Amino acid sequence: MVEQDRGAGILRGLLDRIYAAASVVAALCLVGILIVIVVQMCARWFSFTFPGSAEYAGYLMAAASFLAFASALNAGSHIRVGLALTALGRHRFWGELWCLVIASAASGYLAWYAVRLVYWSWKLKDISQGQDATPLWIVQVPMAFGACLLAVAFADNLIALLLTGRDNIREELADQSHAE
Amino acid sequence: ETWDMPMAYPATNYHSENGTAFASCVRDATQGAIDIVVHAGGSLFAGNDIKRAVQTGQAPIGERLLSAHANENPLFGVDSIPFLATSFDDSDKLWAAAKDAVAAALDEQNLVYVYSVPWPPQGFYFKKEVNSVADMAGVKFRAYNAATARIAELAGMVPVQIEAAELSQALATGVAESFISSGSTGVDSKVWESLTHFYDVQAWLPRNTIFVNKDSFNALDDAGKAALMDCGAKAGAAGEARAKELTDQYLKTLAENGMTVGGPSDELKAGLQGFGATMTEEWLASAGDAGRAAIAAYRGN
Amino acid sequence: MAHEFWPLAIFLFTLFLLLGSGVWIGLALLGVAFVGMELFTTRPVGDAMMTTIWRSSSSWSLTALPLFIWMGEILYRTRLSEDMFRGLSPWMARLPGGLLHTNVVGCTVFAAVSGSSAATLTTVGKMSIPELLRRNYPEHMVIGTLAGAATLGLMIPPSLTLIVYGVTINESITKLFIAGILPGLVLAIFFMGYIALYSRFSKTYRPSAEPAMSLGQKLANSRFLIPVLLLILLVIGSMYLGFATATEAASFGVLGAMALAGFQRSLTWTSLKESLMGATRTSAMIALILAGASFLSLSMGFTGLPRALAEWIGSLGLSRFELLMALLVFYIVIGCFLDGISSVVLTIAVVEPMIRQAGIDIIWFGIFIVVVVEMAQITPPIGFNLFVLQGMTRHEMNFIARAAFPMFLIMVVMVFVLIAFPELATWLPANMRQTPG
Ligand code: NA
Ligand code: NA
Repeated sequence: MVEQDRGAGILRGLLDRIYAAASVVAALCLVGILIVIVVQMCARWFSFTFPGSAEYAGYLMAAASFLAFASALNAGSHIRVGLALTALGRHRFWGELWCLVIASAASGYLAWYAVRLVYWSWKLKDISQGQDATPLWIVQVPMAFGACLLAVAFADNLIALLLTGRDNIREELADQSHAE
Repeated sequence: ETWDMPMAYPATNYHSENGTAFASCVRDATQGAIDIVVHAGGSLFAGNDIKRAVQTGQAPIGERLLSAHANENPLFGVDSIPFLATSFDDSDKLWAAAKDAVAAALDEQNLVYVYSVPWPPQGFYFKKEVNSVADMAGVKFRAYNAATARIAELAGMVPVQIEAAELSQALATGVAESFISSGSTGVDSKVWESLTHFYDVQAWLPRNTIFVNKDSFNALDDAGKAALMDCGAKAGAAGEARAKELTDQYLKTLAENGMTVGGPSDELKAGLQGFGATMTEEWLASAGDAGRAAIAAYRGN
Repeated sequence: MAHEFWPLAIFLFTLFLLLGSGVWIGLALLGVAFVGMELFTTRPVGDAMMTTIWRSSSSWSLTALPLFIWMGEILYRTRLSEDMFRGLSPWMARLPGGLLHTNVVGCTVFAAVSGSSAATLTTVGKMSIPELLRRNYPEHMVIGTLAGAATLGLMIPPSLTLIVYGVTINESITKLFIAGILPGLVLAIFFMGYIALYSRFSKTYRPSAEPAMSLGQKLANSRFLIPVLLLILLVIGSMYLGFATATEAASFGVLGAMALAGFQRSLTWTSLKESLMGATRTSAMIALILAGASFLSLSMGFTGLPRALAEWIGSLGLSRFELLMALLVFYIVIGCFLDGISSVVLTIAVVEPMIRQAGIDIIWFGIFIVVVVEMAQITPPIGFNLFVLQGMTRHEMNFIARAAFPMFLIMVVMVFVLIAFPELATWLPANMRQTPG
């Protein structure tokens, strides 16, 4: 039993660290967007070229979004309509279970096809139509990874709910504008 | 069977209207067995995604400005080598010489070539009078792909990357002062609100190509395949006739709205032809045997 | 239409089941779109979904959104937003309705910078919500006016919706932009008028009194406005002077906000990091919903439902006014389920000929469309401003939707004002100079 608990604890810590690390990379991608756009403007003002800048900003945008999905979930940032859940009162567990089952299935579906997209981009040798001419599978990898991480995070929450009766989603109060 | 056909340009554009006519031709010829539903204006898949969508069977048939995919295979850009084929007749000749090679390249990508229709010839839009290549130096020029960036480089213009959606605003605020496109773009985006001169240099005539997913095509019976190809041949001819008709109208509309519209001066023309020779050589270096054969056949005629 | 009833019913049932039971919104939209496509087409659903999601998530024009959100986060975490209110309050406190007008004025000004309603909402809301609640303004009014006024981002140029409309219908985007100015300002005045009337007749409208000040004190306090005014000037100026495109202007916003906050010494390393992580989470939240919405829009395209409905309206043989009323209802209904740009793209091919045939001015109709698309932003179950506000305030959807409902009604009134006085939209573009220089 003790061995098992320790194993679970290590897994818990590992997963949380992966979610957090992905969100830090996502934040860096956001900074990357800012840098790309500033350099693009400078290119215009000072007459040098930065081929494919718009495409790079777009890839960073996709990476910034998808890599942050999982940590945003556990921080309670993804929104939902909570009326029915509140109305369930002490039977809320069953509502949460239903939501997590559906969300795990949907995010799993998304992850599966995101990986397939990368595979087919690689297989078809699909490359960007912009001046960057980047092989698309490379820039689609962060998206697929983020989608998989979101699916893992939902499954993780589902298992936590089943084992402990509570998921790992903790709303960060600092995000709430009315939390005076 | 219903075939959804994504097209990239607005429903009122002649390419889309022609595509709709093609769809009803096929519907009639097959007594409704193939019911092509046109989704214009990128309302199903965005222009960038249409080729891949048809390739992978997400849509059975679609239309794309094939030269946008020149990064994958230079042959797809054969219609867009600047200052190589500079009239409808030359463009037809070039396409006749290159079509089989392009169709073979499409076939490798699981696509069956049906027909293609040219856009009106590409000309330069400027904010000032330009009589020679030297006059172009320092002008902020919208470069949206490798070829237009190269033109800017050769002419000493400042390439600015502007997405199509932001073009009007960029021209109005002076972020860009010049671009190259067909007369139709100028009319559609009311370019006279910001620019003054249009030079009909007929740099190249890009083509929109209609292709079918190979598996969908092979699943058709012979009558269905024949109907598709016959209607395609008709649509290709009708579309080109319409393009010629519209070209003059577009130039007239530009002039009516106060733009100075005309051909290039001899000096400008000579300079641009020099760019053309350079860029054709560069293209040939990248395009391999099939490309060399196509250009040789074109020049042999 | 009858043979389409069952699929439609299943579609709607799934939508309300998934959204209503509390499934995260982006994934609920994904599920609905999946069901719709499985019902209506034989095409490979998952691959088509990823094509669309990759396209919409990696789009260049989307990059302005996280940057504007980041700018809002910086302003919120530093002294800048507090200062702005300190500078504004002595002047606005005397207006009937008081500081609540900053919501509308802020959104109107910011609408001239941003082309989207979500960016307008997060930037202004991040600053104004905490300040207004601290001063005891009724929360439903704070949230409602913000939800409504932020939609001005779509009407006052630059506007993504008008760009899409102009490109689809081959009309001058410059003309459309100019056409949006007056109606945008009129709508802003309507919102302010509503605030004034509400404050007069409500018994519960009792914000904390602002301290009385002499004119000299007021002027002295106005110095607090300077930083934010500089920032607004920087962003708008960069765009209209041709230094930046509308998308790029957002980066001026972020850098400007950093510079000002650094200059005031209110920007610590920690607050900068927090602002970045906050912006990352908020934009991820919006991106997940946008991903689901883009797939839903593809699914709708395959089902052909919006198009079939528009064709049905076209077949009724209505008079001009009846047609406009039918389209008003039509766009309000599909606006409940689709975002504005999707509803324009999916229907305009059918609607445009109807409009031209009825002799309706195409520029005017662009503004008409924008007002109804603005309504769609605040109508449940799928209304983007409601989602964004839920993310910001953690209030339930029904509270926010109810708070925003009066703004919806004001926009309906605006449609009738536009019909009665079409010159609001057509006069400026008709009289603008035709050629430069
Ligand atoms: Na705006
Ligand atoms: Na809505």
